[in-house]
Amino acid sequence: MTQPVLDVRSISKQFEAVRAVDDVSFDVARGEILGYLGPNGAGKTTSIRMVLGIFQPDEGEISVHIDGHSGRLLKERTGYLPEERGLYGDVKVLDALMYFAELKGISRAASRSRILEWLARFDLLEWQGRKIEKLSKGMQQKVQFIASVAHKPDLLVLDEPFSGLDPVHQDLFKDVIRELRDAGAAIMLSAHQMNQVEELCDRIFLIHRGRRVLYGKLDDIKAAHGEHVVRLRFDGSVEGLASLPGVTELSIRGDRASLRLERGASPDVFVRSLPVGLTVRELTVTRPPLHDIFVRTIGKENDEAA
Amino acid sequence: MKLRSVIRWEFLHAVQSKQFLIMSVLIPAIAGIGILVASSQERSPAVQSLSGPPPAYVVALILAMILFMSAFINGVMALYGVVKEKQSRVVELVLSSISAREMMAGKVIGLGLAGLLQVIVWVTTAYLIGSQFATISLEGLTLVHWITYPIYFVLGYMLIASIYAAVGAVMKDVQSGGAGGLVGMVPYLPVMFVYFIVENPDHILVRIAGFIPPFTPSVMMLRIGAMAVPPWEIALSIVSLALGVLITMAIAARIFEIGLLMYGKAPTARELWKWMWARRAS
Repeated sequence: MTQPVLDVRSISKQFEAVRAVDDVSFDVARGEILGYLGPNGAGKTTSIRMVLGIFQPDEGEISVHIDGHSGRLLKERTGYLPEERGLYGDVKVLDALMYFAELKGISRAASRSRILEWLARFDLLEWQGRKIEKLSKGMQQKVQFIASVAHKPDLLVLDEPFSGLDPVHQDLFKDVIRELRDAGAAIMLSAHQMNQVEELCDRIFLIHRGRRVLYGKLDDIKAAHGEHVVRLRFDGSVEGLASLPGVTELSIRGDRASLRLERGASPDVFVRSLPVGLTVRELTVTRPPLHDIFVRTIGKENDEAA
Repeated sequence: MKLRSVIRWEFLHAVQSKQFLIMSVLIPAIAGIGILVASSQERSPAVQSLSGPPPAYVVALILAMILFMSAFINGVMALYGVVKEKQSRVVELVLSSISAREMMAGKVIGLGLAGLLQVIVWVTTAYLIGSQFATISLEGLTLVHWITYPIYFVLGYMLIASIYAAVGAVMKDVQSGGAGGLVGMVPYLPVMFVYFIVENPDHILVRIAGFIPPFTPSVMMLRIGAMAVPPWEIALSIVSLALGVLITMAIAARIFEIGLLMYGKAPTARELWKWMWARRAS
């Protein structure tokens, strides 16, 4: 079995009285995107900073395996997009990017053309000579994103890459992130936009109050929380819909109904048993979106803690 | 390789800044005007007495003053730079690429080079303007001065810059100077005792002060200017100053490393002490 690029084992970190991260383990393999999720203040950024060697965990171990190297983090092979965006304001775009590439061990001669390619891709070519503070927030974010990927990292840590981006640029970022994955990067991605996570991530890790709540393949997690969600548009009577096998949480508004199927209930059986008096206009049966799983799991945890 | 990149970056960043340009041009300009005004008046006996070769301690004093002025200006720039990087969170990106130690050393050396450039500009301008009106002779300087002064100057500069960078690392924002500013004043203390040092260069207190790193550059420059200091004392003071620089840089990097990531509040002295001995991060 090939070793994961990033292997995190039982790390913990205490700040004063708060246990920010408590016995957390996960790994990220080559060519994989791990969604690292959690509500605000759950311990995401602390975990990320430990992965990047900015903090040292109090307990546990973090090891990196890249091209035969095993052990400490290789800073040159790691890319990082911090949640708190920050760049030198009074410096020109190209100069700043070349400096950051230089710090990753890329010669100025080699980095220049590569960065220009990235700038072209992100539609920033004519801004290369402008000072960063003259750029809009979204443009600055693109510049920072380039800074995190221009050296082709093997391990890429993205903390909230989509926040503050318009939909067009969210798609562009997603495309680029997928390309980097396909090129073999191991990507740890933290984001609040569950739909983006769902589209991108192979596996997810859900952290809450510093502890692991969910960890595994997105499909498996969905199957485990697999109450199907049914949305329906209809003509006629919906009498009897509530009494169908497996139906819970039915709500009807005008000519629309939405309901959940009990865990284990077959959508096939449900569809076949729809009442004859009901004319179906639209019907969708899906797994619950990650958003719901997230909200419900965290909600349940909070109830148990209370 | 990385260190060189940081040095280069910090140097260019400093040299291209407005403050640097203003200070490099303004100070010689003011000095020039001052000399013009002075020379347009009747030459007083005091000015005339300057036309002979000045005693070496005068040169030492001038050099010490220049060192402090330039180190102060660029030290404050280092301090602002650190606080700004901290506020804009650039530091997170930088520390994910290089160690705090490299960042610190690069900053101090880069700014040191910028300061050196500035001082060369100042001294050259002063010499060019001054020599129009008076015979400036450097005959009072011996080989010892030519060798030791640059060493004290550069090391002293680095010491002051490290102290300032460390102070910047614990500051929350540029407005809150406070006790940090006082720490940055320590190297300047001997300047208050210039006459005592020059008149008693072999006094036991002066000799001891010469071995205490923050005081070494100014005290030793003045002593060497005023008397023939035994070579072993010079050597020892340079070693102790170099060690002082290394230790200050290490301490500063340590504070940097931990302090930079603690946003929100400036730490208390006790917390700082705790950090210093906390487990090293990477």
